[in-house]
Amino acid sequence: MERLTKPILLCACFALLSVGASPAHAQSKELLLFNWSNYMPPDLLKRFEAETGIKVTLDTYDSNETMLAKLQAGGAGYDVVVPTGPTVQVMVRDGLLMKIDASTMSNFKNVRAPFDKPTFDPERAYTVPYMWGSTGLAYDTAKVPGVKLDESWKELFEPRQPFVGQIGMLKDQNEVLGAAAFYLGYDYCFEKPEEGQKILELLEKQKPAVKVYNSEGTVDRVGGGDVAMELMWNGSFHRAHKKLATVAYIYPREGLALWGDNLAIPKGAKNIENAKLFLNWMMEPKNAAEATNFLGYNNAIKGSEQFLDASLRDDPAVNTPEEDAARFRPMRDCPKASVDLKDKIWTRLLR
Amino acid sequence: MTRAGDLWRFPGTRAAAFAVLAYLYLPIIVLVVLSFNASDSSLARWEGFSTHWYAVAAADGNMVHSIEISLTVACIATMIGTVVATLAALATSRTRFRGQIAVEAFLALPLVVPDIVAAIAILLFFVMVGIGLGVSSLVLAHTVFTIPIAYLPIRARLEGLDPALAEAAADLYASPWQSLRRIILPLIWPGILSGAMLAFIGSLGDVVVSYFISGPGSTTLPVYVFSMVRMGVTPTVNAVSTLLIAASASLLTLSYLLGRRFN
Repeated sequence: MERLTKPILLCACFALLSVGASPAHAQSKELLLFNWSNYMPPDLLKRFEAETGIKVTLDTYDSNETMLAKLQAGGAGYDVVVPTGPTVQVMVRDGLLMKIDASTMSNFKNVRAPFDKPTFDPERAYTVPYMWGSTGLAYDTAKVPGVKLDESWKELFEPRQPFVGQIGMLKDQNEVLGAAAFYLGYDYCFEKPEEGQKILELLEKQKPAVKVYNSEGTVDRVGGGDVAMELMWNGSFHRAHKKLATVAYIYPREGLALWGDNLAIPKGAKNIENAKLFLNWMMEPKNAAEATNFLGYNNAIKGSEQFLDASLRDDPAVNTPEEDAARFRPMRDCPKASVDLKDKIWTRLLR
Repeated sequence: MTRAGDLWRFPGTRAAAFAVLAYLYLPIIVLVVLSFNASDSSLARWEGFSTHWYAVAAADGNMVHSIEISLTVACIATMIGTVVATLAALATSRTRFRGQIAVEAFLALPLVVPDIVAAIAILLFFVMVGIGLGVSSLVLAHTVFTIPIAYLPIRARLEGLDPALAEAAADLYASPWQSLRRIILPLIWPGILSGAMLAFIGSLGDVVVSYFISGPGSTTLPVYVFSMVRMGVTPTVNAVSTLLIAASASLLTLSYLLGRRFN
């Protein structure tokens, strides 16, 4: 028996290596999707498979930055990735995305303004819109009966009594510093040290009133009443609202961040035609609506309203009213000086 | 001279021991209990008993696939790593050769280098050399750190072995191979087993290296779970973790019972 173990082990090793190293020989009915977990309804992908015969394989990442790091280090092979706006700018600059001229695709006419000409990809040469969301202010109306809070960031940064010590903030440098910048009237990509100093002072003054800085678990803590006020994404708000009907969402008049996720094809993709088909398919109203119904974030496709769940259509946090939509400030990739200043402020704040 | 039993009579030892055990195991108990939570909170809001999440976990094809990949990679990397680590331990224990300190430092290197540095370095290397990313690249990368993890317990066990036993075997005309197979290996077997278990757990729980080295279609379970943070972690994760704990607990019980039987 011992005589045979060595050759058997060698054979096993070779078998293993050959299985893994076999190149993807032009699999025409496959699509390799690189996305967050749970960010695309499984039923939607099953329907895509049924309609087109293309099998979708999902691989996952936890943030734009790690996805970017992997692609920059050469980890290619995915057909579709899902970057957020500012990350698209970085990827285009680094030559990581394939030019697909999405504006010429057959379903592109369904994309509604302003998502057809976003600042990070003005001609939609590289990307197709997926979900978009805003970062506004959520609060529990039961804590201030009879009073309607002012639609301003002042309520967050200079909170009134029932909310002191009951505030939750996202642990996201861009979201928090962006909101502070809007409140003080500065540009999202502020660079002047004096502006940075004022923002730091504002946040440090607010800090004792904040209960927690954490981007995870916002739905649980708002829906469960652990915090009475929260800097929150609107999709998370929608889910928290289902648990606690008294929470409300504010679109601050000084401006609030608008972020958009997009579908793009990275360089090195093997199934390019399948990917383009998928991107075009996602611009159909019915399919975009199914994603919205699953995720609670809005989509950028005209005509999807008729397919939306009533609860989403009626929620002003998701289905933004016209006058509030004017307050959106799209997130964008800031120049290095601004990023460095923001890094400094954030580190000082959370020390 | 104190004996082991005397330690228990030292005031506070018992209480401290239980406190440490509670600190280690309470979070796991909470995790298991919350997997039966009827609401979609995997944090702490109990809203009734339900086994719904086990069904959801079983139906989630991507999660099941990631479990398969994780287990496959962990098993193979552990096997290779433990074999290599045993050979390394046998070669470096109770001998002196030139460059021994350098060799031992090299063996421990993957444990000292930060995860992220190792992950990016391995990825760049694979891309440069042309190794395609997939399950086998994952196995290769995992073997790199399972070797030092398994090496340390085996080496420790070898050092504790009475040299008189090996000498006695040699006196009785046993060849080095026979002495290894019938005396040394059975004696260090507990060390090899614990090295293998530590390596398995290290491979199963690895996030950073697995994320960067996995190719399309080979996402592992920890990477899949970690990427749920954006949309929120549901008790499906608790359900999967409970199943994994149950599986490893039963394996351990089985090996303990078998061990007792053969003693």
